[in-house]
Amino acid sequence: MYACIHAPDGSEQKGADLIDVAKSFSPLIEIVDRNTIVLPIDALRRYIGPPHQIASEIARRAAERKITGNIGIAHTIETAILAARNLSGVTIIPKGAESKYIGEFRIETLPIDAETYSVLDRWGIRTLADFSALPDDEVAERLGPAAIRLQQYSRGIADRPLKPAPLGAEYEERFELEHEVSLIEPLLFILGRLLNALCDRLRSRSLATTELHLRFDLANRSAHDRTLQFPFATRDSKMMLKLLQLDLEAHPPAGAVVAVMVSLTPVKSRVLQNGLYTPLAPEPEKLELTLAKIRSLAGEENVGSPQLLNTHRPGAWKMRSGAMVAPAAASVPCSRGGGQRIGFRYFSPPARARVELDNGVPRRVFAKRISGDVIQAAGPWRTSGDWWTNESWDRDDWDVALSDGGIYRLVVERRMDAWFVEGAYD
Amino acid sequence: MTDRYVELHARSAFSFLEGASLPEELAAVCAARGDGAMALVDVDNLCGAPRFYLAAKKLKLTAHLGAEITAEDGCRYPLLVANRKGYQNLCRLITSMKLRAPKGKAKASMEELRQYSEGLICLTGDEEGPLARAFRTGATKECIERLLDIYGKGNVYAELQRHYSRDEEARNQAVMDVAASFHLPLLATNGVRHAYAGERELLDVLTCVRNKKTIAEAGRLLTSNAERHFKDAREMARLFADIPQAIANTVELSSRLQFTLADLGYRFPPYPAPPGETMNSYLRKQTEAGAQRRYQPYHEKARQQIERELALIEKLDLAGYFLIVWDVVEFCRREGILVQGRGSAANSAVCYALGITAVDPVNMDLLFERFLSEQRGEWPDIDLDLPSGAQRERVIQYLYRRYGERGAAMTANVITYRGRSAARDVGKALGFEADDLARLSSVVPHWGWRDPSGTAEAAFRDAGFAIEHPRIAKFLELFQAIQDLPRHLGQHSGGMVIFQGRLDEIAPLEPATMPGRVVIQWDKEDCADLGLIKVDLLGLGMLAVLEDSIQIIRDVYGEDIDLAHLPQDDPDVYDALQRADTIGMFQVESRAQMSCLPRLKPKRFYDLVVQVAIIRPGPIVGNMVHPYLKRRNGLEEPRCLHPWLEPVLSRTLGVPLFQEQLLRMAMIAAGFSGGEAEELRRAFGFKRSEARMREVEVKLRRGMDAKGITGATQDAIVQAITSFALYGFPESHAASFALLAYASAYLKTHYLAAFTAALLNNQPMGFYRPATIVQDAQRHGLRVLPVDVTKSEWKCIVTKDLALRLGLNYVRGLRKSTADALLLARAQRPFANIQDMVRRVPQMNKEELRNLAEIGALNFIDEARSSHRRDALWQSEAAIRPVGPLLESAQPGAALAPLVPMTVEERVAADFRGTGLTVGRHPMALRRRELIRSGVLSAAELKRGRDGQWARIAGCVICRQRPSTAKGFVFLSLEDETGISNVIVTPDLFDANKLTLVSAPYLLIEGVLQNQQGVVSVRACRVAPLILKQPAIPSKDFS
Repeated sequence: MYACIHAPDGSEQKGADLIDVAKSFSPLIEIVDRNTIVLPIDALRRYIGPPHQIASEIARRAAERKITGNIGIAHTIETAILAARNLSGVTIIPKGAESKYIGEFRIETLPIDAETYSVLDRWGIRTLADFSALPDDEVAERLGPAAIRLQQYSRGIADRPLKPAPLGAEYEERFELEHEVSLIEPLLFILGRLLNALCDRLRSRSLATTELHLRFDLANRSAHDRTLQFPFATRDSKMMLKLLQLDLEAHPPAGAVVAVMVSLTPVKSRVLQNGLYTPLAPEPEKLELTLAKIRSLAGEENVGSPQLLNTHRPGAWKMRSGAMVAPAAASVPCSRGGGQRIGFRYFSPPARARVELDNGVPRRVFAKRISGDVIQAAGPWRTSGDWWTNESWDRDDWDVALSDGGIYRLVVERRMDAWFVEGAYD
Repeated sequence: MTDRYVELHARSAFSFLEGASLPEELAAVCAARGDGAMALVDVDNLCGAPRFYLAAKKLKLTAHLGAEITAEDGCRYPLLVANRKGYQNLCRLITSMKLRAPKGKAKASMEELRQYSEGLICLTGDEEGPLARAFRTGATKECIERLLDIYGKGNVYAELQRHYSRDEEARNQAVMDVAASFHLPLLATNGVRHAYAGERELLDVLTCVRNKKTIAEAGRLLTSNAERHFKDAREMARLFADIPQAIANTVELSSRLQFTLADLGYRFPPYPAPPGETMNSYLRKQTEAGAQRRYQPYHEKARQQIERELALIEKLDLAGYFLIVWDVVEFCRREGILVQGRGSAANSAVCYALGITAVDPVNMDLLFERFLSEQRGEWPDIDLDLPSGAQRERVIQYLYRRYGERGAAMTANVITYRGRSAARDVGKALGFEADDLARLSSVVPHWGWRDPSGTAEAAFRDAGFAIEHPRIAKFLELFQAIQDLPRHLGQHSGGMVIFQGRLDEIAPLEPATMPGRVVIQWDKEDCADLGLIKVDLLGLGMLAVLEDSIQIIRDVYGEDIDLAHLPQDDPDVYDALQRADTIGMFQVESRAQMSCLPRLKPKRFYDLVVQVAIIRPGPIVGNMVHPYLKRRNGLEEPRCLHPWLEPVLSRTLGVPLFQEQLLRMAMIAAGFSGGEAEELRRAFGFKRSEARMREVEVKLRRGMDAKGITGATQDAIVQAITSFALYGFPESHAASFALLAYASAYLKTHYLAAFTAALLNNQPMGFYRPATIVQDAQRHGLRVLPVDVTKSEWKCIVTKDLALRLGLNYVRGLRKSTADALLLARAQRPFANIQDMVRRVPQMNKEELRNLAEIGALNFIDEARSSHRRDALWQSEAAIRPVGPLLESAQPGAALAPLVPMTVEERVAADFRGTGLTVGRHPMALRRRELIRSGVLSAAELKRGRDGQWARIAGCVICRQRPSTAKGFVFLSLEDETGISNVIVTPDLFDANKLTLVSAPYLLIEGVLQNQQGVVSVRACRVAPLILKQPAIPSKDFS
C-alpha cells in the first residue's frame, strides 16, 4: 500500500518540510511535485499498525511542522495520489472499492494531455466513472495504447513501481554542533572538514563548483546565509575556506551558531591550456584570494575594474566587480578615428575654480594650486543628457592653455554656473 | 558680419522617427525668427513637402525642398532642389530607389544619383554624409571628385555644422581644408531635427522607438545635447563668426533655389482617346450615348444640364479625368463588377449619363455646383464604391496595368501617433515594465466617449498613477508632445491618383506593403491641397452582398434583378423600415438608425435620403435630429435659423442636414465665396488642425457680424455649420447610399434567403454578428440548415426549397484548401461514411475532422446509420488513427458509439464554439421558463409594454455603444429568441457597474420602459450579470 501526502501550500520551505516528514517514515519516497509525496507503507504496519494509524502518525508529524493537507492511502500509487489531491482529510481506500471513491472525480484530475482531454470533453466524458465505463478496446483504438493505462487509472487499478527521489543532496553537508559556538576559528575547523568532504566528492566525479552556499542555524532561531560565487570552476577546498574566512570576518553571524550547512553547486571542471604566446597572468585562485583580501580592506564597492558607460557624459564609468578582466575592445566606444591621442589626467575630485570670462570665453582661472591667464581656449563642448532621471546633466567643457604652462579642462555645470578644473592634459 | 541666414538642412517629423517637429512647426519658427526661407530636407521622402509648402505660403516664407538620400554606400546625400527639373529628378530618384527595394530598405545606387542629378544641389552632409565617411576611409579626394562629377562644379557645397562637439569641430576643420583645395563654397547649416530646444527629449524618445531600445539602453544613439533646433541668423553668425562666408553662402544658395511646389507643373490627367478624337469630343460622345440610355425620354431639362456641365468640364480641361473614371466604370461593367459613384459626383448629370452614379440629379434637383464650380476653384472628387475584397483589387490592378506602374498610385495614409500607440511607444522608450505599460495604455480611452472636462492628467491620476512622480510626469509630457507626429506611411483605403506615365514627376512613389500596390508619398489632403485629382475606389461590403444576392437569385429563384430598375416605393420595404425591422440593411441597421426609423417613418425615397443623413454625429451634435422629427410629425412649426436661409433650408424643414446646405449657409450668412465655403468644409473635415478650425470660425463670425447677424442667431448658425461639417453627408452622397439602402431592404424583404446567404458570405461587415443575422432571418421565417459535409458548399447557399444552408466557411479552423479537397472528392462520389471521407480527403487534419463532427456536420454522412454528434466524434477518432494496409479497407463497426448524445445546451455550446452561431434554439430560449418565473420580459413582450412601466429584461449583449456624441451614455442591445431590446445606461450607472457592463456576455437589466412613437428602450436602473453555460455571441462594441 502507499500513502500520499498532499499539502497544497506551495512554498519552498513547506515543500522541504514535507519531504522531511515523509523521510521520517521511509527512506524511499517519490516526490510527485512540491506539494505531493508518496511513500510505501507496507513495512510501517509492523512498527505503527494498520493504515489508519499510519495515517494518524503521518498527520501528527505533519502538524508538528505546521503542514496541513490530505492523506490518501490506497493499493496503487496513482489512486493514493488521486485520493490525496481530491478528498479532504484522511482517505483510506480498500482494495476493490477504488471506483466507489474516485469514480466521481472530474476527468481533469487524470494526468492527461490537452489533446486527449479535448477529445474526452467532446465525447461528454466528465468523470472518471464515465471514462472507465467505455469499452477498453475501442478506447485504445481511438486514443492509442496510453489510453488503456488511463482507463486503469480511472478505475483505480493502474499499478506502477515507486520512483524514489535521489538520496539526499549529494553536494550538501550539514553538521549539528553539540554546543553553541560564537567564535570563527572553531567554525572554520568544522567548515574545513565539510569542504574537504564535498570537494573530494566533486573530485571523484571530475566536477568542480562555482558557487558555495553557507548556512548557519543560530541559537536565536534565525539563520545566517552567505553565498560565494567564484569566477572560475574550482574544487580547491583550502581556497574556499580562506574565502569563507574573509567573508565571515566581513559579515559575521548575528549570534551563536548551532548548526552548519555547506552546499556546493556542481559544474563541469575547468580545462585550461594556456596559449604559447599568452602572457602569464596570476593564477585565478590566487587572484581571487587577493581580491577578497582587498575587498575586506577597502569595501566591496571599491574593488573591481573600471568600465566605460555607453553615454555622452564625459568620463562616465562604473566599477565592475568580479574578475579583473580587461574590457573587450568593442565595449569601449571610440569616438574618434586614428590620429594622435593625448593623455588626460582626471582630478579626483575635480578642483573647484573661479573663472573670469570675457564675452563668454574663459580669460583667467583661479583654483587650488592652479591659476593663471588663459592663453588659448577651445570650446565650449556642450553635452547634456539623462534628462529622464534625477541625475541629468548639462555641461560645457573648455580646453584651456594657462600661463602656468599647463593645458586643462574646465567644466561648467550650466544650470548651477559652477566651474571646476576637471583635469589636465599630459 | 552678415545679418541674414537661411536654414537649408532641416528634417521634420516626416523623416519618420528621425525628426521631432511637424513641418508646420518648422515653418512657424522660421517665420518668427528666420529670414524668409527654409529648406525641408527629410530622409528619403517628400512626404512633408505639401504641408511645409502650404504652411510656408500662409506665412509668406519660401519653402525650399530637398531630401537626404540614403545611398548604397551607407551615406546620406543632402540634395536641394534648384528648379522644376531638379524637383522632377528628385521625385524620380526616390521613386526609382524605392520601387526596386522592399519597403524600408531602399538605397540609391551611384548610377541613380548620376541619372537624376540635373537641377539638384548637393551638400557634403553631416556625420552621416559622404564626406564624413570619406574622412573615415581616407578617400576624401575621390569623394569630392565624384560629387563634382555627378552634380557639377558650383552645385556642391561643403557643409559645416556646429553643435559644440569636439569631433564635429575636428571634422569641420578637415571640411574647410578640402573645400579650400577643391574651391568648394562653404555652407553653414544647423542640421535641424526639431524646431525648439525643448523638443530634444522627444527626438531622443523617437530614436529609442526607431532603434527598439529603452532610453536607458540607448546611450550614444541619443543626441549629445539639445543644439539641433532652429537657430536664427544672430545665433548662427555667432557660431560661425570665424567663417562668415559660410553664413553668407546660405543666402546666396537660397536665391538659387527657384523651385517651390507652386511650380509643380501638374495638369489634369490625360486619357488616351481613340484616334481622331480629342478628349473633349470623346467625352461628349460617350455622355450623349449614355444620356440616351439613361433618360428615356432624354428630356430637355436633362439635355440642358448635361450641356452646361460639359461646357464647364471642357473649360476646366477636365475631360480626361471624367474619361478615366468612365473607363473604370466600363471595366467594371464588362467584368460584372458592381460599381456606384458616391459623394458629390452624384450631383452631376454627366456622371449619371456616363453610368458613374446611379442617382438622377436632374430629377432630384441636386446642386451641380457642390460637385464642380469654376468660382470655387475646387476640383471634382469622384468616389466609386466597389464590392470589397477581390473585386476591388481587380479594379485597382486594372488601373496599374492601364496607366503603368509609375502612372497610377494609391494615396498615402500617414499613420500618426494617437492615444494608445503614443502611450505604448513612449512608455516602452522610458523603460516601463510590461504591466505598467499595459496599465498606462489602458488609461488612454479607445472606446467612444471621453469626458470633455477630463485632462490626460486626471485620467492618469484616476488610474492610480502618481503624476507627481518625475517618471510619470515625464511620460505624460512626452505622451502629449508625441501626439499627431507621423509614425509611418500607410496607404489610404482607396484613393488613387492617376497621371499617365508621369506621376513620378509630381511626387515620389513607393511600394506598399501589399504586393502589387504603389503609393504616392502624399496623403489625400495633401493631394487635394496641391490640386491633384484623385479617384477613390472604396470597398463596400454591401455592394458585394448585393452582387452575390443577385447571382443567387438568378441561380436559385430564376429571376434577374436589375438594381437600377427595382420597383420604387415598395410598400413592404417601407413597412419594414418604419418598424425598424432593418437588421442587415445598409446604413439603416444601427441601433441609432433603428431608434429613429419609427419616428421618421420613411414613406418615399427622399425620406430614406434624409434618414441616411440624419443619424450622423454632425446633425446629432448640432441638435438637428429632434427638431427635424418634431417638424416632420407636425409637432413644431418649420422655421429657419434666419429668413435669408429659407431657400436653402426649406427642403429639410428649416433644419440643415446636408453639406451643401452648410456651404450655402456660409455663403449667404457670412458672405463667403464658394472657395471660402469649401475651405470651411475642409477645415472642419481636416482632422489635423484645431488651429485651422478656430481660424475659419473667426472668419465666419466676422462675416456674419458684417452682415448684421449677431447674438444667438449667429451662435446657432455657427453651431449648425461647425458641428456637422466634419461628419455631415452631402445630399448626393446620402442619395447614393439611400439607393443601396433601398436595394438591400428590397432584397431582404423579398429574397430573404438569398440576401441572408450573401450577407453571411461577406462577413465581417455591418453592425451585427452572423449569429444575430441568422436569428433575425429565422424570426422572419427563413429555414436555416446547419453545416453538412454531404450538402454544404464552401459558402452559404440557398437550396431549391429556399432554405439557407450554412457553408463550410463557417466551420472554425477548417482551411479553404481542405474544404476544396473535400468538395472535389464529394463531387466524384458521395462519401460512404466518415472513414471513407477521411481516406479520400487526406488533407483534413484531426482538429478539422473533430470540429466538423462536433458541430454535427458529419451526422448525415452515413445514410445507413442514425447518427448523432458524439457518434460522429467516436467514429472520427477511429478514422483518424492510421491502420495498417491489411485493415485499410475493413468496414467500421456498425454499432453506435457508447457515448451519450449531446443535450440541447451542449449542442448550442458546440455550435457557438465551432461556427460562432447556432441554427438551433437561442441560448436565452433555454432559460425562458425560469426567466418568466422571475418576471423577465422577452424582447417581443417589451414592445407591447407601456411607457413608464418598470421592466426586467435579459439577453445576450450583442452590441455596446458609447458614442462620443452621447455625453457618456451607453447603449446596449440585448438579444433573445424573440428579438432585440435596447437599453440606455446613464454615465453614473455605467461607472458603478463598469466591469459587468463591459465584460458580462449576458445581462439582466431592470429599469423604466420607454415606449414612444414605436421606439422601445429600457432606461436601466439595475444591472446584473446573467449566468448561462452557453458561450455568448461576441458583442460588437462601437464608439
